[in-house]
Amino acid sequence: MDVGVAVKAALDLNVLRSNPDGTVAVENIPLVISEYDRNAVYEARRIADSTGGRVIIYSFLTWWPADRKEKDFENVIREALALGGDEAYVVVDPTVSGSEPRFTAKVLASLIKKYGSPSLVLTGEASTDMTSSSIAPYLAATLGYTVVTFARSLKVSNGGIVVERDVEDYIETVRASLPAVVSVTGEINSPRLPTLLQIRKAFRKPLVKTSLSELGLSPMLPKYSDYRLVTVKRKRVVLEDGSPEELVDKLVSYLVEEGVLKR
Amino acid sequence: MRVLAVSNSGKYYGDLEGFISRLDGVEEAILVTSDTPGGNFSKIYRVGDVYGDLLARILGEVGEPDLVVGIHTRKVLEAVAYLAGARDMPIVTEVVGLEGMTVTRNILSGRGTAKYSLSPPAALTIAPGKFSGQLSLGPPEVMELGEKPSTVVVDRSEKSRTGVDIESAEIVVGVGRGFKEKDDLKLAFELAEALGGEVGCSRPIAADYKWLDEDRWIGISGKKLRGKLYIAVGISGAPQHIMAANDVKVIVAINKDKNAPIFEYADYGIVGDLYQILPILTRKVRELRGV
Repeated sequence: MDVGVAVKAALDLNVLRSNPDGTVAVENIPLVISEYDRNAVYEARRIADSTGGRVIIYSFLTWWPADRKEKDFENVIREALALGGDEAYVVVDPTVSGSEPRFTAKVLASLIKKYGSPSLVLTGEASTDMTSSSIAPYLAATLGYTVVTFARSLKVSNGGIVVERDVEDYIETVRASLPAVVSVTGEINSPRLPTLLQIRKAFRKPLVKTSLSELGLSPMLPKYSDYRLVTVKRKRVVLEDGSPEELVDKLVSYLVEEGVLKR
Repeated sequence: MRVLAVSNSGKYYGDLEGFISRLDGVEEAILVTSDTPGGNFSKIYRVGDVYGDLLARILGEVGEPDLVVGIHTRKVLEAVAYLAGARDMPIVTEVVGLEGMTVTRNILSGRGTAKYSLSPPAALTIAPGKFSGQLSLGPPEVMELGEKPSTVVVDRSEKSRTGVDIESAEIVVGVGRGFKEKDDLKLAFELAEALGGEVGCSRPIAADYKWLDEDRWIGISGKKLRGKLYIAVGISGAPQHIMAANDVKVIVAINKDKNAPIFEYADYGIVGDLYQILPILTRKVRELRGV
């Protein structure tokens, strides 16, 4: 069975930068593979291997400007291929300057329908940058698939899937029919770093780039605005000189002064 | 304006009523819930469980709303986002603020915010604990809905839990990978006890090592803190962890690595070996509090 994976190239949270006015300097922040999408690719590989099928990567470059982000984006896709993808179909379009779940899901649905239409599509429980967690259900509804979110285990059986879902205080085991979109949590597996050989092989795997117009879609301006970094208001007093006894004494007096530690 | 509200627990009715009461010109607010009906909504549909295809069927009965507002829990989020997809509506999740028809949400694991201007019809989920209030549209007529969703729950088990509620604790001591062995966590438990607080942990401690139950896991996928003091011990400070402690009044970091990101997000930090620092801190807190 072929398994699709929707992968996001997300803003790297370790290298966030802002403009002088406090807005997020999207242009200058590198892209990395969204954390839980690595789990999704890894899981897709496992299922494809056990059922005999391909792993197809789908992605849409949403951050801008496309020409400056393209290199990072390609690296993300190559990483997904090295982690277990067989081929990739992606949208890179210079007319895109941001997206929102409604549009991203439309683009992914068009890609999926045009290239392979796998009956199982996986994705991470949330992207690490926008964390909306809404792509899996939105995409499922757009494709007319069933949806199961926050999967911590996944089995294909009798033409359907059995999923252990993490719903806050409970684990629910659910049975759903295929075709389906499933979002996975970080608990579902522990992806290994790709080997050098896998990385080298990834460069020989098909990576097909297409544009919105080739998919018959018109660009959409997202209604998001004012992406802004929250300024850290912490005092950042670091105590490092002195014996442990002295350091603790200083800390305790600060905490008493703050009123969070009472006699 | 017509609003469809969605919840899977009665404890969020106040959040939903609070959000909806801040919207202009709401004439009707229908609640879909899988819990005991409550709140001053216009009408209530009680369902066995909240699913996207069920919400779509309810809309077929009650007509299209201008806004769908769900509480941001995993079940409701899935259902509302699915409904949005089925109706080609925009979706905005985990909303924390509202001004006119512009909503704010956190992005970049809590290190940023973004605004979104809603133009109905639209769907959204609101973060628990950010809105509260009451509507005056009731008393509601309650309808039971027996329809079955396409996803079948075959088993349900409670997560292993210790019954602690670190989300409402005033003081939390957090433990991370700086602890070498599970037994060593007692150093943190002793400090928490001296402080009258609870013990929480970073993701690896709960998810990978399984030294502590998941109800102690502090993170965006775990529990969020909002007390007065958080002491992060041996925690380097992954963005998802730091975000979950954003609302705490005072953050303290104890870590032997001077370059650990956690120090950037702490009010007070001690660069030092937790195995030396914690016993001293526990002793001094005991002396101070006379416990």
